[in-house]
This record gives sequence, structure tokens and C-alpha cells, in this order.
Amino acid sequence: MSKSRIDKFGERLTRRIAGYSSRRSFLARLGMALSATPVLPLLPVARAAAADAPKTDFERYAQTTDATQCNYWKYCASDGVLCSCCGGGSHSCPPGAEPSPISWIGTCVHPDSGHSYVIAYRDCCGKPVCSAGKSCWCDGGDRELPTYRSPLNNDIIWCFGNASASYHCSTAALLGSADASRK
Amino acid sequence: MIRAVMMMKAAMMIRAIMQIALLLASLGGWLAAAQAEPELAPETSDVATLPPNVPHRIFTGGFRSQSFVIFDADTGKMEGSIPAGYVSNLAIAPDSSRFYVSETYWTHGARGNRQDLVSIYDAKTLNLLKEIGLPGRALVEKMQNFDINASGSRAYVYIMMPVASVVWVDLKSQAVGGTVEIPGCALVFPWGNEGFSSLCGDGSLASVTIPASGPAKVTHTKPFFDANSDPIFENSFVDRATGKALFLSYSGLVYPAQLGADSTVSEPWSIQKAAGYAPAGTGVQELAWRPGGDQLAALHKASGKLFVLMHPGNYWTHKHGGTEIWVLDTKTHTLVSRFPLRAVPSSGLGNDPVPYYASIAVSQDAKPLLYLLNTEGNDVVLDAATGRELRKIEFAAGDWISVPGN
Repeated sequence: MSKSRIDKFGERLTRRIAGYSSRRSFLARLGMALSATPVLPLLPVARAAAADAPKTDFERYAQTTDATQCNYWKYCASDGVLCSCCGGGSHSCPPGAEPSPISWIGTCVHPDSGHSYVIAYRDCCGKPVCSAGKSCWCDGGDRELPTYRSPLNNDIIWCFGNASASYHCSTAALLGSADASRK
Repeated sequence: MIRAVMMMKAAMMIRAIMQIALLLASLGGWLAAAQAEPELAPETSDVATLPPNVPHRIFTGGFRSQSFVIFDADTGKMEGSIPAGYVSNLAIAPDSSRFYVSETYWTHGARGNRQDLVSIYDAKTLNLLKEIGLPGRALVEKMQNFDINASGSRAYVYIMMPVASVVWVDLKSQAVGGTVEIPGCALVFPWGNEGFSSLCGDGSLASVTIPASGPAKVTHTKPFFDANSDPIFENSFVDRATGKALFLSYSGLVYPAQLGADSTVSEPWSIQKAAGYAPAGTGVQELAWRPGGDQLAALHKASGKLFVLMHPGNYWTHKHGGTEIWVLDTKTHTLVSRFPLRAVPSSGLGNDPVPYYASIAVSQDAKPLLYLLNTEGNDVVLDAATGRELRKIEFAAGDWISVPGN
């Protein structure tokens, strides 16, 4: 039976790590990585104030109709080139690209309803960077934190666990309501 | 009839003689000219070398660049380039004899086997001297993901998987020395020859000592900043020789620190207060002068002058570039001057409300120059004492500017 791509990747990763790591430290690290990985996209992180709180500059000018523009409401903290300009959509990778299994997250306010939502900024990977026009390159900063708060940072190439960590473009998938954590 | 034919033949002969005469005349002129000008010597195909000790040399590069491009900022001319892989970073040896590039490649462009490297180049020939394979490296678009120690005998590479760690490379033996885990922390700020510090998500600094032999030692300061409400920019500063550091926060607080095996952090001061304003807060509709950009500040080590790209904005505009440069004396905590920046063509980035410069660097000599970078390839060289624009350097688009001696 031929191995799946995930199996092959896992084997490569394991062999590579084994090459420079003792078994005990490898297990400890793997445990930490496994325990940390599924948690990252699910953290309901929203440090924004209550719904009637002042809006950020992005929130004041956000729109809900055109996902190929940087001011589309879900892109409040998107950094990179929009997949919606590259043959994909706001939460879809373009053909042939692969979504990263983990992502960083932000919290954006829907301008019509005023509700806030947790957004997973998931990079699409495995292809050269998309060569869309300059208007599709966005750099939102709402509630974006530095690299040492990695789950909330948008300057990291979020292509982990993919066949290739080469960044292609950025998506923004709505994960759920963040209103509860804002109160 | 015969006579007519003979006349035609005679006319044709005369025309032919005249054409030959003309040809001979022009040939004679050419020969005369050739005799007046000395003959050009044959050329040899050769390879240029990088001149040493150029006082104002800059290196531009970044995420979308395939090389670090070298310019002489006094002439604006390109001097050469250093090849660079994915999300690459550059370190310059203290004696300027070597360039170190941390970089990532895949064997088939964007696919295939991944290779993480520190590549060593000769600074005169720009020839590749050595590739050192790494167990990994973080693909983080920050200049602080890679650096060397004060003497240039070690390099530090930040990696994220499987846990936050730093790989150190022995540049003398040209081999990986080991890996130190720094859970919850990131990036490298080297001090001395045996250690580095990293910024941590709990608001502390981790300081790692790696002795010549024996295990590494990690200490933590007490948390001194709030990583959620007013985090410190990655673009902070350490003098590798002395360990003196400055950490700049989103709101504009400067925390002086002494880095070492047991690092200490002093009380912060506000750059807005230094300029006669109220210290800036963290309100999302609190308009104030704020630091922002990519490589948003530069420190001239000898004078202690800090150059910060500032813009008027609310909180969470920390990625907006500068409409002014503020020059601050970090010894007296006072504003020295403010340089307004001329408007530049829009970067085209959709979220950017105004044209801006996002990266700044300063040369480390006694008569420093300021270098500004934007994404349009309109780099500008300023006199750091007056803010006067000296020249533009075109086609130097990139994200970062490196300078020797920094």
C-alpha cells in the first residue's frame, strides 16, 4: 500500500528531527507541539471592548460587499495578498494551493450588525507567491501583536505542516462569534 | 545605331570610373581617420570586486527580494548584490570581511525538499564560501530573526517548530553548535560573545548564556510590559558590544535595558512627552503621534540618537509608515528635531490611508546619513543632522535596509 502524502511528510519530519534530537527531548517537543497546535485556531481571543466601544479606523471604513478589497470587513488584520484576487475566495485557496492546517487569528466587527467574529487568517501554501496587483496587497493591524505572541501575529509565514511552506496568498475564514468574549 | 550604342557604353564606363573614384576617395578618408585615432585595445572579460571601506554602503532586501542589493549611498550607484532565498536575512561581519545570509530554499522552486541555510559570502568577491545546513528556521518577516554576536564568531537563528528555539552556529568551525529552547519567546538580540536575549509573550525578556562548553543557561526578567495592551516592537535595538538595549512599545514608550546573563530593564520614557505632548495612550479613537512602519526606527549608537518614523493615528496603526521623522536624544530623553517627509507615490497597499515610508536606517559614522525605503523603489538619502534630502536611489525596493556596523 502506498503511503499518503501526510504519512510521507510525517516520516520526513520524524527522520529529520531524529537526526538532531534525542528521543526524550523529541517526545517532549512533539507533545508540546501536539498539545499546542489544535488549540491555536480555536482560542476565542478578543480583547476588543464591548460592542458599543469606539471603532478602530479599519472598522469605521469596512465594507461587506467586495472581498477583493483590503477594506472587506474580515480583513481587519490580514497581511499579504488576498486569495480572492488569485483565483480563490475570502475563505478559499486558489486551485492547486493548500490551506495551512494552523493559522493565526483576529477579531473583526461586521459593520452592518455590529457583531464581532473570530477570524482565522489561514495562508494558502505550496505555490509561489500570487502575483496579483498591488491593490490586493493588504496589511491590516487591528489587534495584531508581535512575533512573540505568535498566534496573533501576521508577519509569520503561516504555512506549517504543508507539503511546502511557500506562501501563496491569504484567506480569512470566519470561525464563530466573539461577542461573548467581548462582554 | 552603332554610334548610339558606343555612346551608351562610353557613358557607362565614365559612370563606373566615377564610382570607383568616389569609393577610393571615401576609403582614403577612412584610412586617414584610422591613422589619426589610435587602435582600440582588445578587451578581457573579467569580474569586478566590491571596493572596501565605502563610507555609506546600504543593503536592501526583504520578503519579495531575491537578493540583498548593495548601493553606495553617496553616489546612488548599485555596487552588486548578494543572492538570497526565501524570507532571507543578512548579517555583516564586524570587520566587514564576510556577509552571512540566513535563507530557505526548496529544491524545485516553491516545492520539493526544503533546505534552511546560513550561507557565507566573501565581502570582496561576493563568492559563496560555505553553506551551513540548519535544522530549521522560522519564516518570520522580521530583521531580528537572525544575527551574529559581537565578535562575529557565532550566529543565532530563530526557529519556531517544533517549539520556539534558537539555533546557534559556530562561524569559526562553520557548523551548527546547538539549539536552545525559548518557549513563549521569540527573536534574538545578541549581547557580548556568549549570549542573546529574546522578547517573551508574558512581557519579560529571556536571556540565554551559551558558554564555550557546558549547558546553556536561561534567565527571565520580571514582566515589564503588557504584551496585550502595549507590546514592544520587534524593531528594537541592542549594541552587541555593550549589551545596552532600547525597547520601543506600540504607544511610544522607550525601555532602556542592560542585556546580559541577568538582564535588567529600567523605567520607560515617552517619546511623545519628550516632544512636549501628552504620552500617547492605547485608545482605538485616541488620535496622537505614533511610531509605526516596518523597520520603523533606527539608532545611531555613538551619539545615542534615535530616529523614529511617526504618523498621526489611533491605536492599532502600528504598521502605518511615517509622515515625519522624530530625532530623539536617548541620553537626555528629549526631542532634538522633527523632519517632515515629502509625500511619496502611494504604495498601493489597500489599507494604507496615506503615502508613507515604512523603513528607516542610519549609517553609524560621525557624519551619518539617513536612509528611507518604501515599496515603490523610491529610496531617499537624507542628511541625518538636518533632514535635508541629498538624493534618491531608484529601483532599490525592498522591506529592510541593513548598514555595516549596526
